[in-house]
Amino acid sequence: MEGDQIFVTQHWDIKYNHAAGETGSTFFKAIMDKKVILGKKCPKCKRILLPPRSFCERCFVETSEWVNVGKEGKIEAFTIVYEKFEGLPNPPYAIAYVLLDGASTAIANFVKGIDLKDINQALNHIKVGAKARVAFKRKREGRITDFWYEII
Amino acid sequence: MKVAIIGVGQTSYGEHKKKSIDELVFESTQKALYDSGLQRDEIESVVTTGSDGLDGRAISNMITAGSSGAYLKDEVKVSDGGIYGLVMGYLRVASGLFDNSLIVSWTKSTESSPELVSNMAYDPFFLRDCGFNSVTSLAIEASAYVNIAKVKENDAADVVLKNRRNATRNHLSHLSGSPSKRAIISSNFVSYPIRKGHLPPKSDGACALVMASEKKAKSLDKYPAWILGLGWSRGEYEAGGGDSNKLFSLGKSSKMAYKMAKIKNPVDEIDVAEVSDITAYHEMMIYEALGFCGYGEGKELINDGVTKFGGKLPVNPSGGILSSNPIFASSLVRVAEAALQVMGHAGKRQVNNAEVALAHGFTAMSTQGSCVVILGN
Repeated sequence: MEGDQIFVTQHWDIKYNHAAGETGSTFFKAIMDKKVILGKKCPKCKRILLPPRSFCERCFVETSEWVNVGKEGKIEAFTIVYEKFEGLPNPPYAIAYVLLDGASTAIANFVKGIDLKDINQALNHIKVGAKARVAFKRKREGRITDFWYEII
Repeated sequence: MKVAIIGVGQTSYGEHKKKSIDELVFESTQKALYDSGLQRDEIESVVTTGSDGLDGRAISNMITAGSSGAYLKDEVKVSDGGIYGLVMGYLRVASGLFDNSLIVSWTKSTESSPELVSNMAYDPFFLRDCGFNSVTSLAIEASAYVNIAKVKENDAADVVLKNRRNATRNHLSHLSGSPSKRAIISSNFVSYPIRKGHLPPKSDGACALVMASEKKAKSLDKYPAWILGLGWSRGEYEAGGGDSNKLFSLGKSSKMAYKMAKIKNPVDEIDVAEVSDITAYHEMMIYEALGFCGYGEGKELINDGVTKFGGKLPVNPSGGILSSNPIFASSLVRVAEAALQVMGHAGKRQVNNAEVALAHGFTAMSTQGSCVVILGN
């Protein structure tokens, strides 16, 4: 209650069991078992898609060929987060889209290993065009958070 | 078949602690009906648009259909932003199956965490666990834009100042009162390059429009806002395809709308625009995708005063989303404000001789889908 107004506080707590599909499963298993990042090639436009998709939404054809992409690439876009958001990690943290060598589309993940406390210092390292490499978690569980980027 | 907007109804925007969602919806619907001169009994179809996640109700129009005047009427809900309700209403009237359509959109942003709801909108495999929400995704888009267009802090602050000054002329606005440039530029980074001062407030509110066929609109003793052009399209879900700052879907949508409205030179032929300035940076990106200037030149329209109130092409005379953001309703508010301008009913925020107006809205978190409407008197 606030003043004369009554408020009812509720929250949703629903468990979902989401299927990653065959393409998603292959991608996550390769990360988990082999520390390899796999893209999928569109037979028509020849783009190597990351995250891998079982179809190319531009050409609207099935993709079939898996391609082992590089573990280094360049930052295309990024952000450094300083505000606490419900459901997201405690700040500061950085997120970037990195175009890995051999891929045609960039894939997003956290950027770690840079002190983010002073933004101006951090922006000397994390910037569009900066080189980054993939680093893997020791105990991987088949999730996107099994890897992150480090600035080279 | 020509279609017109014949009535506009808006609640004020801000924190509405004394009204439930359906009470806000009822208020905006009543106002739109009154403005149109139609009775509820005469309404043939109703389109509602809201977010189940933001409302905290799994099928939210179960409750809001009644307050939208839809009892025992043809009602359907569109789950994208409010401007897509307008698309649906337009198609219904243009089909000839309905003589009119009532469009209602709402959000009570203060009842939940819109950022948490937006995180849930991302897929659970790739982006949801990587820190994506309605703010961080826009920041990522803006970082690429700042880099390529060499946009300065000053430019972003000037966008905010323009819209917040405009809001002082809009009695419905959540924020009015202009902040100082220093306050914007020194406000904390929320998600680089976006500072707190570059973001909209969290507003409650509802907006409703009544649309009618040409025959109906011409029979009324008033000046309607005619729909001259309409375009909408989807971009890609993933922003990693390169050049995401160019807002490809908006480029496509605007071309579609300009073609229908026979507009060749938007800056010369459009008198006023209401765009979805979801961040200060996005207003400039939107100018470029709408063809108001070349890519990378959005800041020049701000610096040259082209888009200020009294400029050659005023943008967001209402104050825009940076002054009021009832999330799902925000894009329908853009259409409502553009309609008021060409009807000559925009009060203190009226742009002189506004004969052609553009409204822009988007759907999804950053700018994966977008819609452009051209209105004329």
